[in-house]
Amino acid sequence: MSTKQLLEISEKAVKAALKKGADQAQVASFIMDTALTRFANSQIHQNVANKNGGVAVKVITKKKIGTLRANTLDAKKIEDAVEKALNIARVSPPNKDFKSLPSPQKWTPIKGAFDPKTAACTPEFRAGKVKDMIQKAHSKSTRIKAVAGSFSTGSSSFAISSSLGVSAYAQVSLASVNVTAIAEATGSQGFGSDEQHSRFVKALDHIHVAEEAAEKSVRSIKPIKIEPGEYETVLSPRASATFVSFLGFMGFSATTYQDGQSFVKYHLDEQVFDEKFTVKDDSKDPWTLYAVPVDGEGLPKKSLKLIDRGVVSEGSICYDSFTAGKEKGRKSTGHAPPPIMMFFGPMRPFPINMIASSGDASMEEMIKDVRHGVFVTRFHYTNPVDPTKAILTGLTRDGTFLIENGEISQPVMNLRYTDSMLTALKKIDMIGKALQRTGDTTTPAMKLKKLRFTGVTEY
Amino acid sequence: MSAELGKAVLETARKNGASYVDVRIGEVFDEHVTVKKGLPDDISLRQTNGFGVRVIVDGAWGFAGSVFLTKGEAVQTAQAAVSIAKASSKAKKKPVALTPSESRKGKYATKMKKDPFRVPLDEKIDFLLHAERTIAGQSDLIKSSSAFFRAFRENKLFMSTEGAEISQQITWCGGGLEGVAVRNGEVQRRSFPASFRGNFSTSGYEFFESLALSDHAKQVGQEAVKLLDAEKCAATETDLILTGDQLALQIHESCGHPTELDRALGMEADYAGTSFLVPNKLGKLKYGSKYVNIVADATVPGGLGTFGFDDEGTPARCTDLIKSGLFVGYQTSRETAAELRQKRSSGGMRAQSPMALPLIRMTNINLLPGNWKSDEIVEDTKKGVSMMVNKSWSIDDRRLNFQFGTEIAWKIKNGSKEKILKNPTYTGMTPIFWGSCDAVSKNDWKMWGTPNCGKGVPGQVMYVGHGCATARFTKTRIGVLR
Repeated sequence: MSTKQLLEISEKAVKAALKKGADQAQVASFIMDTALTRFANSQIHQNVANKNGGVAVKVITKKKIGTLRANTLDAKKIEDAVEKALNIARVSPPNKDFKSLPSPQKWTPIKGAFDPKTAACTPEFRAGKVKDMIQKAHSKSTRIKAVAGSFSTGSSSFAISSSLGVSAYAQVSLASVNVTAIAEATGSQGFGSDEQHSRFVKALDHIHVAEEAAEKSVRSIKPIKIEPGEYETVLSPRASATFVSFLGFMGFSATTYQDGQSFVKYHLDEQVFDEKFTVKDDSKDPWTLYAVPVDGEGLPKKSLKLIDRGVVSEGSICYDSFTAGKEKGRKSTGHAPPPIMMFFGPMRPFPINMIASSGDASMEEMIKDVRHGVFVTRFHYTNPVDPTKAILTGLTRDGTFLIENGEISQPVMNLRYTDSMLTALKKIDMIGKALQRTGDTTTPAMKLKKLRFTGVTEY
Repeated sequence: MSAELGKAVLETARKNGASYVDVRIGEVFDEHVTVKKGLPDDISLRQTNGFGVRVIVDGAWGFAGSVFLTKGEAVQTAQAAVSIAKASSKAKKKPVALTPSESRKGKYATKMKKDPFRVPLDEKIDFLLHAERTIAGQSDLIKSSSAFFRAFRENKLFMSTEGAEISQQITWCGGGLEGVAVRNGEVQRRSFPASFRGNFSTSGYEFFESLALSDHAKQVGQEAVKLLDAEKCAATETDLILTGDQLALQIHESCGHPTELDRALGMEADYAGTSFLVPNKLGKLKYGSKYVNIVADATVPGGLGTFGFDDEGTPARCTDLIKSGLFVGYQTSRETAAELRQKRSSGGMRAQSPMALPLIRMTNINLLPGNWKSDEIVEDTKKGVSMMVNKSWSIDDRRLNFQFGTEIAWKIKNGSKEKILKNPTYTGMTPIFWGSCDAVSKNDWKMWGTPNCGKGVPGQVMYVGHGCATARFTKTRIGVLR
């Protein structure tokens, strides 16, 4: 189904809503075609394809808002969805914070967001790549016991129409590969992993991912225990991405900011992070994975400096039209969640295209600069402990190593960290020059003066 | 729902070479009513319709799902599932084997007195606004207050080439409250009856009414404010008492997930991780103290993980996981049970929607009641801390090293609750922690519903239940924050 057809579906539903008595209406329709080949124990065990589509209907009558999300693109069922949305609005109390749906703004499509070849990948193609990766990982060492991971390809499109004249659409393709290798020797297991994401399947170097995971898993066998404490820490780009994405999630949504539950609120215009640390949210940057020009309200997505040389400001906050309407003179920054996320994720505005600026250090230089510290490949199960103080906790995983006198010396047991990002990212000694995508977040490696590790997993 | 569409799927896939086929056709209704700061925040309905086809061809799995409920799409999707399975067979070490079929024709519907979808929306909104305004009215320091209701219904038809034809209607609902106090950049939150948006049960609207949110709103607001002036939970090792609202998540993370056999067999290694409960420890590993008895029970009335049949057609049942502290059982599927040469599945295969692949999911993972009364546990504690209502959570990829934070705690001295503590946290290693359990109460045993358990790639969310009561754990490390 083309974006033109989706737009026609949205426009028709808006007209139906107005005909049935809505003062204003907005309809976003989407279609998502995805396929994923997953493997574990060195064989494919889950291999799925999914065709999803639907509409998100928002109607307003006398400041009363009704929303309905339906997994259907059938004309009759959409009309029914519009009727139900109106019934919800009619019994809802008026929302005094609601000013209006947004007026249309000029937007331009993003070139290179959609690759038809990525969208059209076959199960045979994915299975072939998986077979290559399993073979490559095992070929690296006889110690490799099992290889797991997934190879996914797909595309999604959405179109938004509103009674105020918004008419916008987007189409993107996505491809991802990740591999986890498990090595074993004399009763000890070692884990290693790597991943890549792109809009273009041809850009994925699946063999490199398999090699990297296999090498790390072998090097991780027989980890030693180190005591919890503060360590100089080198974060791989994937580990950095965890910190950056949680900062985005906790700090930069207008909803949490307005509720006083964001750390940004209490540190405006302060040098809260190291001055080498800059993060933007930019859907047009070539590094961006989910390259959509408009948000879930059909407004152009503005590029925002979330963290500018370590400083956060009012200009860092992501707004949709509703949250912007609560502040005098404020305008939407184009950060309403896209229609597909409206089905599955939070309804509040937040950054989904974060890119941390690169520095000038190589990985070798960062490790060489550490006298006694830790290298982290990735973090696992990170969660906020206190969002206003940006305190996170989580564990290391798939390759944690001791660095001694400028060299990686030996693997260590996984560590738990519990630290405030306002402390950990206040003193960043070095930032890597190479960027890497981890899902929607793009980051370099970073060398932190210290990270607080509070526990050890003993295995 | 159309059995005709299901038959078309089964026939097409079989004609194209499938040795086994199942199809789930379903619809989901998910109503959200949230009020915040005196205004409607999210009043919405999510509707999902679709079907999913699972096949075995040449000894390998294939799955395809679609939202388009037409006969033409059914045929195409069945063909796609077969093509995918053929591709899977290229990277296969051994053919898929399943435990013997327990398939049958059957029907199941959640028992309820009052259909939550038939209660007028404005009645729900008025009720929530009253409770929410009560929280806000407790203090000017309450900067955010909210109250919420959610109702969920899934109608589904399961058919397979083994002759199954099972229709089910699962309905659940619930809700909760939240008050957030803010002063000088410090934020304290209290929720009722639990965080994660409250508590939920496979029941009718009568369950939501039984929560009596308005009766608890005052306490929620007052405690959020009191926490601003409370003493911080100090770092020490002490006896820890957990009430059911927090213990439910402890069970979820440190017993529920590690006893999923797909995890233990390495099938989730690339995402959530593996499990320290590997098969050679079954029947041998001392998981906890003799007071620890944990089951996976899909038959408990009202449990959020209660149903008639799982998404492989296996009837709901109860399975021992931990018996008198010994690790004795897994949550399984037909495929993973066969891998361990077990005779039948534990019946926990579920999918988040008709279009998603079923995975081993928790049903109701329950810590069975002990012999204590909850008050007796406090009275018996000379020095300790009692923590309640989860605030943060994290556990490692083998489910050993965990750390939890709760909204509130009480310092216990000589058998009495002495004072409130803020920012409480505790940490431990799973078998050591459960091994330190020396008391489980019976009088406050109840079911807790967790509607947001994540698992799998692509990610799926599932509703699961945990039955538990207040319990005590000796010599636990608390107060991890600076």
